[in-house]
Amino acid sequence: MWWYVGKRLLQAIPVFLGATLILFILLKLRPGDPILNLAGNKPVSQEVRDALAAQYHLDDPLFVQWFQFVKSAITFDFGETFAGQPVFDLIKETFPVTVTLAVMALSIDAILGITLGTIAGLRRNGWFDSSMLVISLAMLAIPIFVLGFVMQLIFGVKLGWTSPTVGSDWTIGDLILPAIVLAIANFAYTIRLTRTSVAENLSADHVRTARAKGLSERMVVRRHVLRNSLVPVVTYIGINLGSLMAGAIITETIFNIPGVGNAAYTAIFKGETSTVVAIVTFMVMVYVLMSLLVDLVYAVLDPRIRYA
Amino acid sequence: MSTNPVSTGPLLEIENLEVGFRAGKDLLTAVDGASLTIYPGQTIAIVGESGSGKSTLAHAVIGLLPGNGQITGGAIKFEGTDISHANRSQIMALRGSSIGLVPQDPMSNLNPLWRVGTQIKEALVANGVATGSAADKRVVELLEEAGLPDAERRARQYPHEFSGGMRQRALIAMGLAARPKLLIADEPTSALDVTVQKQILDHLDTLTESLGVAVMLITHDLGLAAERADHLVVMYRGKIVESGPAREILQRPEHPYTKRLVAKAPSLTSQRLSSVAAARAEVREQAVQTAAEIAAEVAHSATVLGEGVDDILVVDNLTKVFTLRGARPWQKVDFAAVEDVSFRLRRGTTMAIVGESGSGKSTVARMVLDLLPPTAGRIEFDGHDLRDLKTKAERLKLRRQMQPVFQNPYASLDPLYSIYQSIEEPLRTHDVGTKKEREAKVRDLLDKVSLPTTVMGRYPGELSGGQRQRVAIARALALDPEVVICDEAVSALDVLVQAQILELLNDLQAELGLSYLFITHDLAVVRQIADDVLVMQDGKVVEAASVSQVFDNPSQDYTRRLLDAIPGASIQLGL
Repeated sequence: MWWYVGKRLLQAIPVFLGATLILFILLKLRPGDPILNLAGNKPVSQEVRDALAAQYHLDDPLFVQWFQFVKSAITFDFGETFAGQPVFDLIKETFPVTVTLAVMALSIDAILGITLGTIAGLRRNGWFDSSMLVISLAMLAIPIFVLGFVMQLIFGVKLGWTSPTVGSDWTIGDLILPAIVLAIANFAYTIRLTRTSVAENLSADHVRTARAKGLSERMVVRRHVLRNSLVPVVTYIGINLGSLMAGAIITETIFNIPGVGNAAYTAIFKGETSTVVAIVTFMVMVYVLMSLLVDLVYAVLDPRIRYA
Repeated sequence: MSTNPVSTGPLLEIENLEVGFRAGKDLLTAVDGASLTIYPGQTIAIVGESGSGKSTLAHAVIGLLPGNGQITGGAIKFEGTDISHANRSQIMALRGSSIGLVPQDPMSNLNPLWRVGTQIKEALVANGVATGSAADKRVVELLEEAGLPDAERRARQYPHEFSGGMRQRALIAMGLAARPKLLIADEPTSALDVTVQKQILDHLDTLTESLGVAVMLITHDLGLAAERADHLVVMYRGKIVESGPAREILQRPEHPYTKRLVAKAPSLTSQRLSSVAAARAEVREQAVQTAAEIAAEVAHSATVLGEGVDDILVVDNLTKVFTLRGARPWQKVDFAAVEDVSFRLRRGTTMAIVGESGSGKSTVARMVLDLLPPTAGRIEFDGHDLRDLKTKAERLKLRRQMQPVFQNPYASLDPLYSIYQSIEEPLRTHDVGTKKEREAKVRDLLDKVSLPTTVMGRYPGELSGGQRQRVAIARALALDPEVVICDEAVSALDVLVQAQILELLNDLQAELGLSYLFITHDLAVVRQIADDVLVMQDGKVVEAASVSQVFDNPSQDYTRRLLDAIPGASIQLGL
């Protein structure tokens, strides 16, 4: 197994190089002038412009900029933001709230999604199943930015149950509403996936054999249907944790949460190439690690899978 | 329910049972007025082809009909109480403790995620036999009883670490865990090799006899049924058409279906030496003659590959070594799937390669078809070494003359291709004729395999297994090959269909002078089709001889064991 883990970690190196290079190219194509942004959209003299360009390596060719970035990244030096804060500190500061938000969204997704999906799967084609189908389709159809603003308006502004924005002194309670918004799109998929998996397993031969042994229906479902059905679902949810963190940009901006997504958004706006690349690369790495973790959990759930 | 059932009364009485499946608004009858009686300790066998309703009958008894199935009439009395409309908890009380089940497919009937021991322990706990560490001890005893060596270690393993035979033993231990009075064995060995099948059935026999368990054995194999049960029930299209003592039914079948079954079951016909051997000799004579004519033609034409030599296929010292991953990532293990196999296939004859799963017989077929490069050795087709065929055109020529027919007619036809498209495809690939000519050829081929031309527009899903295998044969014949390689071509079919396909293969051989390489695990069918036999074990040839020699005078222990394992071989038919 350690051999496998080592192999997977080595694979992270080309992923890192590829991801940073693509990001550099993409940000180069982005319209706007970073120096103008840096100076607060005021006209700057040529000398200042040259000095700033030299400081942030903005006048070098793209590949040289990329090479510089990779070279310093090896020593965890990701440079500084235009505001003068080390990028590494910025990530360290904003990461906790993003992780908390992602884990909360994931819990909502897993607990509700698996429970509702299982009930729907056990009573396939019943009224519960049918209404779940309609509800999950609706959840999938509404874009997160529409849902986010609507929920913010209803629960935050009109009803006043929670504060509409979060701000820098955040608490767990403030994050409940954003977490629900973040969870909803994935949650609909989890219901569909669990439902299909349960329904499929229900007609498996070994489930019939379990019944023939004289097991009660509850035991049959718990031991022989649920555990088998959860293997694909857990895989899906696990990979989601990575994408939830990355996908938090919209939610964090709507609710003004001081997370990694928000920091990335600000950096993109200002054209701080190296900051954006550092944050996004960091998220890519989180994603790579998460999918490795999921693959290892997969082997725990299913004894047939062995890594070598 | 009486607590002390009268020992002389019947254990299970099924009276005029009707079971239907709901499909949309229609109710399809699967079991139509079936009646049978089982006494304590008695073994009865229910025989029938797929779709005859035998499994449905068994599932009705233990209350495991699928969701759209329901009992529409009649009664199932277990120890005098009607359980046909019992509620869930009543049925649950019977399952495991009174009625046990050994299911059909050992590969899919164990939950892959739980240890084998845990799954047997569940049965003990659920039926209140034992709990905790007492149950763990009992599990090991049960596995030992089912004939699994090293039971203590095995109980801690997962199903994927077991072979098919071992899994079936675990399922037997599970079915008998709570000491039921009736054991339903639903095709318990049809997925296993013959020698393993014999061991398992022998063991099941002794076990049920010593425990006094009544057995309801469900099988499609008449020979096996007659050998294992004293009482036979023959089912056909949902009805019980005949029932009575096994020997009597075999010797004096009354219903036309039973008569056909007795006449065609390969396990039984393999004994009828004279008639089969004579018919086969006639086929061969005609085939060899036709083949010689074709060979002469081939030798004089430049369009086809070949020289018209006597041995159409010569295989010399064929070896295939696969490199497998070892225990450590950097280690490699060599595994010889085929070792030093040599044979000659004479024009117009059939060579059967017989062996159990893992014997390397299919690997030989793949190498002969030029689908897998051999590690060492030589394959010569009609005087040409396959290795000399370098260009794509030469390879195409070879492919035209050697065509395969595979085991599973459900998987080897593309479900999205109409029958016409499936048979026409090889003609199109090889650019044979115009569209009109190709259509005429397809019609001709369908006629050869005795299918009506109306099937051309239909899809594989609309045909039965036997019809599909006929389509696969027609497709193989489309390019007028000289050699047809049948890899378990009849193994997935019901006995009567199997007999029809074998007859068709024989007729085609006589008519077209084909040469067959016939790969099978089933020695019983070999007698009806082959002239020479190659018995393989662990990648090596253990015996190579003519059919009559192998059957009448096997020289190797292994061959003898395979012959003994043919179910029903010991039964005297008195014919």
